Amino acid sequence: MNLKISALQFTREVKTGNISVEDFIGKTMEHIEKVDGNLHAFLSLNDNAVNQARDIDKKIKSGDKIGQCFGMPISIKDNICIKDTKTTCASKMLENYIAPYDATVITKLKQQDAIFVGKVNLDEFAMGLSTEFSAYGPSRNPWNTDYVPGGSSGGSAVSVSAFECVASLGSDTGGSVRNPASFCSTVGYKPTYGLISRYGLISYANSIEQIGPLTRTVEDAAFMLNLIAGLDSNDNTTINNNNADYLKDIDSGIEGKKIGIIKEMIGEGINPTVLSATKNAISKLEQLGAICEEVSLDMVKYSVAAYYAITTTEAGSNLARYDNLRYGYDFSVEGYAFNAYIEKARKKLGPEVTRRMILGGFVPSSGYAGKYFLKALKVKSKLTRQIDEAFKKFDLLISPTVPILPFKIGEKINDPASLFLIDINTVTANLTGKPAISIPYAISNGLPIGIQLIANSMNDKLLLQAARALEKTVKLPEVPI
Amino acid sequence: MVSRKEIEHVAKLMRIEIDDPTIYEGVDKMIGYFDILDSAGVESEEISAREIELSNLREDKHIPFGEKLIEKLNHYKGTYVRAPKMV
Repeated sequence: MNLKISALQFTREVKTGNISVEDFIGKTMEHIEKVDGNLHAFLSLNDNAVNQARDIDKKIKSGDKIGQCFGMPISIKDNICIKDTKTTCASKMLENYIAPYDATVITKLKQQDAIFVGKVNLDEFAMGLSTEFSAYGPSRNPWNTDYVPGGSSGGSAVSVSAFECVASLGSDTGGSVRNPASFCSTVGYKPTYGLISRYGLISYANSIEQIGPLTRTVEDAAFMLNLIAGLDSNDNTTINNNNADYLKDIDSGIEGKKIGIIKEMIGEGINPTVLSATKNAISKLEQLGAICEEVSLDMVKYSVAAYYAITTTEAGSNLARYDNLRYGYDFSVEGYAFNAYIEKARKKLGPEVTRRMILGGFVPSSGYAGKYFLKALKVKSKLTRQIDEAFKKFDLLISPTVPILPFKIGEKINDPASLFLIDINTVTANLTGKPAISIPYAISNGLPIGIQLIANSMNDKLLLQAARALEKTVKLPEVPI
Repeated sequence: MVSRKEIEHVAKLMRIEIDDPTIYEGVDKMIGYFDILDSAGVESEEISAREIELSNLREDKHIPFGEKLIEKLNHYKGTYVRAPKMV
């Protein structure tokens, strides 16, 4: 049984009867058992997956209507609710939380006969970019297990890269889908803000975060987007995409398209190997008929500070509910006053979440709101104006997804400020609500490099077409697992 | 420059106890980094906000959940959530 197939290949193989869903899911679960002890992508597994696969095979055999996923094995980041399953956000605070409802994306995938093989690891409450801040231990990069897989959707990227599923859903607040996709050599897609419902995604910074797919191919990302995008009455920030078909015409190419190379994302601090790969990708796009020119977005320099000022403020508010009264765990309360009880309960939150909650209290506080929070909102507005201006001239923008190569586990964990700067190329798409994608482009000394393309809002289809064109120029080695 | 006392005050208001000095150091470093915003030159910039028309909000009506949600809690009595006892 070949598990190294794309999502679309899987559906074709099942449709033609070449493989049974039960066999594929069974082999997938065996493979997870075999490799995940080392990789630690999964926090929990679906013990009923093979039975569900068997039911789908029966439906196929009896000619019943079958959903577009045909029993496809998908992993889900553990901050997205699946009814009656644990949803821990990789936090000890939610260690025993069982979601009482399905997220909208889950409802949609269930309607299409997807099988959720398990919930995957993340930095606690999606705060981090290496998965080292998971309360259950880090995931490991399948390309080299001494290295981080990126984050916060590290478990999603590892599970796709290591063939533990054919696709995954993550969430992207400042690059949390694209960063691990880049580090693990998978496709990672952050849609236009509002294209995918956030209902059932446990909130961290809801004004900018989005659910997005991690897949083996760009076509698979388009396929997943077809299934999960669209208006949702449970999330009033969702937008009407008129049931766009993102797969249709995906091979249209990029001839004549104008691509802006973001000057501030290929300058100071970029790893020379990453820069060289980016230049190579640009020349490939030019060979395909695109016109590439440099463009300056000078607010990018301030984007990381603005991003953290805004997201920590929202986190401070969103995480205030974790007080051990409404969500939490049991411990003896004798002798505690109310505030002391909550303080003790919150000690279950990890260091990164604690840091960001305190920042989130400080940044909008009286006397500092003007200096930090309001200025951050103004940077966000100006950056949005600048990028909108750039899109009057360019169809797409390009940069490396991450300015550095994957780093070793433990190498940067004690320096949060330097970790934050790794987000420099990804936060712009979140602050401005634009769609962005990371495409696997190169492997250097056994470590992956991804290229990021950004499009204007609601130009997700064009973005996927361009990503597909770039993807077709690349032939990468297989992950060494 | 923000003093340790100020950070501790905000943490106390948020009911977070800082007993690990690396937390303080991390917060202090980040607040220091946020000072870069002073040189962004955005004083005259208008803040743009995403607006949602009231007519686009879903109807505010009761939708029965279909299950007894309270039974999903570890501690409840009848229809009441049972909170921990505190002095």
